[in-house]
Amino acid sequence: MTEGASLSAPYTLEFPFERTVGPKIGTFFAGLKERRLFGARAERGVVCPPLEFDPDTGAETGELVELAPAGTVATWTWARSRAGDPVARDFAWALVAIDGTAGSFFHAVDVGGDPSRMQVGMRVRVRWRGDRVGDLRDIECFEVAP
Amino acid sequence: MREPASEPSVLREPASEPSVLREPASEPSAPTLPEPLTTMASPFRMDYTYVAGTGRSVFLRGLAEGRMLARRCPACAQVYLPPPEFCSRCLSRLDEPFELDGRGVISTFCVVSFPFPGQVHEPPYVVAHIQVEGSGTRLMHLVREVDPADVRIGMEVEPVWAGEDERENSLTSIRHYRPAGDEYA
Repeated sequence: MTEGASLSAPYTLEFPFERTVGPKIGTFFAGLKERRLFGARAERGVVCPPLEFDPDTGAETGELVELAPAGTVATWTWARSRAGDPVARDFAWALVAIDGTAGSFFHAVDVGGDPSRMQVGMRVRVRWRGDRVGDLRDIECFEVAP
Repeated sequence: MREPASEPSVLREPASEPSVLREPASEPSAPTLPEPLTTMASPFRMDYTYVAGTGRSVFLRGLAEGRMLARRCPACAQVYLPPPEFCSRCLSRLDEPFELDGRGVISTFCVVSFPFPGQVHEPPYVVAHIQVEGSGTRLMHLVREVDPADVRIGMEVEPVWAGEDERENSLTSIRHYRPAGDEYA
């Protein structure tokens, strides 16, 4: 046949989407910009990050509550750092139960690249980004609380 | 990249804070809430490798030589341009490539008037499906050298090739299509 090897080429697909957010999540993001963490009252307790609607009843969630930016690791998995990840060295993706809330917050935990320092139940706190814009990356990651 | 200065007015905050966020008067420890944001950046980006396949590569290499190579199915006689390796109707391996001159008619088209990020061509411009003479499939390409308002389904068009030194394994080796009927000669 006339066929040689298959040609291939690198491609990039990119869409600069922007999403609208409701009042609860919008306030949550605005809070992050001010280094403040908010949750919303729901039937199961305070949920953080907040939701616009109660996951149990479907009703609008209640008032926003300011929370201490610290919590406990509920579960985690180890990840190799790639370009664009929140931590520049290997880190954990974790579910962090913020103090005083029901449920958990999915974010990165930086333990200096050493997975043996990760434990379920360990205390962590928010590491705020210096240059905050009002989105989830204003939380750079969680770090071990002293 | 958040909160562009020229944010459309429809995305602005409501004049008064939504009532759901108001604290009851009896709540003594009510926190002062920040003004809610109304949007979040949610960019999508995917880096990937396009693999043309051995069949499609025959067509792409032909373009680099200034040739449009089609292939016919030996079982059902369907002619493909661009041709894959196997017939998509009966899965037979296609016959040896042969050359078409690329002239054809517009089977459908769209005038792109809307600007978007990463746009290569200045709108308005015409993108058409071209039924190349001798082929049973359609080829998508730009139609230029004509006012978009004058483009019609059924219009005869011909390829305009890039210069020999500009040709590569890509449909960009054909710069665009243009009207080929007598009225444009």
